[in-house]
Amino acid sequence: MTCKICGKRSKSEFCERHTEAYKSLLRMYDEWKKVMDISWRNYLKEIKENPYTGKWAKEVAAYLLASEMKDSPQ
Amino acid sequence: MKTLLLCEKPSAARRIAMALDDEGHPLEKKLGIVPYYESRRNGKILIIVPAIGHLYTVTPKIRNRDVYPVFDFEWVPRHEAERGAKEIKKWIDAISKLSADAEDFILATDYDIEGATLGYMILKYACGGKEDRAKRMKFSTLTTSELRSSYDKLLDSIEFPMIEAGICRHLLDAIYGINLSRALTVAAKKWSGRYSTISTGRVQGPTLKFLVDREKEINCFVPLPFWRINAKVEIAGHLFTIEFEKKVIKSQKEATEIAEACRDKKGKIVNIEVREFRQKPPVPFDLGTLQREAYSLFKYTPRRTADVAERLYLEALISYPRTSSQKLPKSINYRSILESLIRDSRYKKLAGMLLDKKDLVPNEGRKDDPAHPAIYPTGNLPERKLSVSEMRLWDLIVRRFMAAFGEPAVKQSVKVSIDVNGYIFYLKGRRVLKEGWITFYRPFMRVEDIILPPIKEGQIVEIKDLSIEMDFTKPPARYNPSSLLKRMEDEGIGTKATRAEIIDTLYTRGYISGDRAVVSELGLDVIDILDRHCPEVISVEFTRELEESMEKIQEGNEKLENVLERAVNKLTPVLLRLKKSEKQIGEELSLAIRESRMNQRIIGDCPVCGTGKLIILRSRKTGKRFLGCTSFFKHSCNVSFPLPQKGKVTAAGKVCSECGFPMIRLKLKGKRPLVICVNPNCPGKERKDSR
Repeated sequence: MTCKICGKRSKSEFCERHTEAYKSLLRMYDEWKKVMDISWRNYLKEIKENPYTGKWAKEVAAYLLASEMKDSPQ
Repeated sequence: MKTLLLCEKPSAARRIAMALDDEGHPLEKKLGIVPYYESRRNGKILIIVPAIGHLYTVTPKIRNRDVYPVFDFEWVPRHEAERGAKEIKKWIDAISKLSADAEDFILATDYDIEGATLGYMILKYACGGKEDRAKRMKFSTLTTSELRSSYDKLLDSIEFPMIEAGICRHLLDAIYGINLSRALTVAAKKWSGRYSTISTGRVQGPTLKFLVDREKEINCFVPLPFWRINAKVEIAGHLFTIEFEKKVIKSQKEATEIAEACRDKKGKIVNIEVREFRQKPPVPFDLGTLQREAYSLFKYTPRRTADVAERLYLEALISYPRTSSQKLPKSINYRSILESLIRDSRYKKLAGMLLDKKDLVPNEGRKDDPAHPAIYPTGNLPERKLSVSEMRLWDLIVRRFMAAFGEPAVKQSVKVSIDVNGYIFYLKGRRVLKEGWITFYRPFMRVEDIILPPIKEGQIVEIKDLSIEMDFTKPPARYNPSSLLKRMEDEGIGTKATRAEIIDTLYTRGYISGDRAVVSELGLDVIDILDRHCPEVISVEFTRELEESMEKIQEGNEKLENVLERAVNKLTPVLLRLKKSEKQIGEELSLAIRESRMNQRIIGDCPVCGTGKLIILRSRKTGKRFLGCTSFFKHSCNVSFPLPQKGKVTAAGKVCSECGFPMIRLKLKGKRPLVICVNPNCPGKERKDSR
C-alpha cells in the first residue's frame, strides 16, 4: 500500500509522517473548538492557509479537503 | 647533540623556533616541501619540524568498501588510506630523516587529545619508536615568554592516558562510522546500481536525530489561535505601549469583552514597583560560548569561528581556543596582559580603567578544563593587518576578557500597574543606572533604555489605541548551527574539537541545508531507517556512555580494550540486522537519494503558470543547461530561462524583490557567491544595465 499523499510505502491510507500530521490535525481540532465555533471543513481551510501550519499537516488538510471528507471525524 | 622538536603546524613551528632561538633568528631550512627550523638554545641545537595535522589515520585492514562488518583496524600513513593526501608521504619522510640525527625528542603539539595523539603516532612510526623517551612542552599561548618557560619546564613524558583516550576515540569513530556508512551505502548501491556516499556515525547519527525530531514537530505542527489586547497610554504628552495582564487570551469572546470594557476609559495608576538589580559580568569564553556569541553577533558558523580562532592563536594573539574552561588562573598575569593591550588606542582607556583597580578578580564560570584556561588575549598586538573576521573575533575576545574584570552592572526596572475599569495593564520601563562591565562590552550589547516620565500612584491616565489582535501559536524554532552546537554540548556528545566539524558534515552530505537547518528528504529517511532497524546507534545515551568511558580512560580508570570490546559487541548484531534488511533499506534510500537530487535541481515556483516548479534541465541538442517548468511535461507550460553555463547553480531560497521571480545562487570557483534573478527582463537588471 502507498500513502495517498506522497506515494511512499505505508501500512494504511497515509505513510507514517502523514499519519502523525493527521493525528495532530485531529488533536488540535478539539482545541480549536474550545476557542471558537468552527466546522471541520472550515478548520481544514484555515489550517491549509495558515503560514504557521507544518508542511505535512498542510498536505493532509489539502488532501482531506480535496477528497471531500467534510464531516468532523469526532 | 641535536634535539628534535615536533610541532603541529608550520606556523606554530616558526613561532616556537623564533621564541627558543637565543638570538630570535632561527635558521630556516627545507627538506623537499617540508620547512623546518634550526634554533640554538643554551648551546643546544634544536631541530623544529612541523606536521600538518594528523599524518596517520585509522583504516580497516579490508579496504574493499563493499565489505562489512569490519572490526580489524590499523594505523597507517594518511596517504595510504586517503585520496588527495599524497603530500603526507613527503612530510613523513622528512620527519623520519630529521629524527635519525636526533638524540632527544620533544613533543610540542597542541596540549589536547588530538595534539597528543597525532604527536604520539609520529614519534612511534615516523621517528621509529621514540614515544617513550620524548619529553613534552605544555603551553596555552604561542607567546615568546610562555614558550620559553614551557621549554625550561619540560614535562618528563608525553601524556599517555590522554593518548589512549585519543586512540580509543579514533578507533570507535572508525568502527562505527565505517561500518554503518558502508551498510547504508552498499544497500543503496545494490538497489540502484549507483554509488552515493551515505554516512552516519557515532555522533553524527544522534545529532541528525535531534534535527529530524524537530523537523517532524515543525512539519506536523497545527497552530492554535489566541488573542491579545494592544493599547497605549498617554503620559505627559508621550505615548507608551502597555501590556494587558494576560499575555494570551484563549477565546475571542473574552478578548472582545475586555476590549469593550476598557475602550475609551481612563486608567488609574494603582501600583508602582521599582526594582534595582545587579548583573554580574559575563564569564570568559570557552570554545562553545565563543562559537555561540560569534554566531549571534556576526552569524559565523561554529566551524568558521573555530578556524578564525585557530589563526589568532597561531599568531600568538589569543590563548589556545579549543578549551572547555571558563576560568582565568592568576598565573596568566592579568596586569601584564592589560598593560600590553593599553598600546592599542581602542583599549587604552578601558585597560587603563582596569589597571587603576587595586585587585583584579575575574568573574569565572563553572566549566573547567585541566589542559587549558579560558580563551584570553595574550596582550600581543597584530603584526599584520587582520581580516575582518579575525579583527572582529579578536576584538570580541579582548573585550570579553576585560568585561570579566568589570564591576557588576546596576539596572533598574519599573512596573506600573494601571487599572482600567477593573482590568490591569502594565507599563514597563528599564534603564541602566551603573554600566559596570557593560562599558567594556558595549559594542556587543543591545541595551535599550525605556525611561518613564515622573508618575505617582493614584494618577489618572488616558488609554489610547486599544485594539484586539488575533495571533497563532508558532511552531518550535529550527536549529541553527549555534543552537545545534549547544544541544550537542548539553547532551554531552562529541568534543569541543569535533562538534563544529560534525555539523559541517551534515551540510556536506546534504542532510540539512540553509542557515535554519532544514532537514532534507535524505536526512529524514536515513534517520527513519536507522530508527526502525537499529535505534541504538542514534541513541544519545549510548554515545554519551562511550564519551564517559573515554573520559575514564583519560583519567586512568578504564582500559581501551574493554571499551572497544563493549562497542563491538553492541554493533555486531546491529550490522547483521542491517545486512538482513539490505534490500528494503536500499530501495528506501535510493528513492530518497533520487528525490534529494531532484530537489537540488528545483529553483522555485514557476512564476508564469503558478503550478509547476522551475527546474534545472539540460538541452539534448546543445548540452547547455537552462531552467524549465515541470508543467512542460504535462504540456501546460513551456516557459524557460537561460542559465550561466559555468559555476554551481542552486536555489537562493528567495524571490526577486523587483519582479517576484525566483532567484538563483551562482558560485564560481574562487569567487563569492552571487544571487541573481532568473528573469532576463527583470526591471532591476534593466536599471543596472542603463546605469
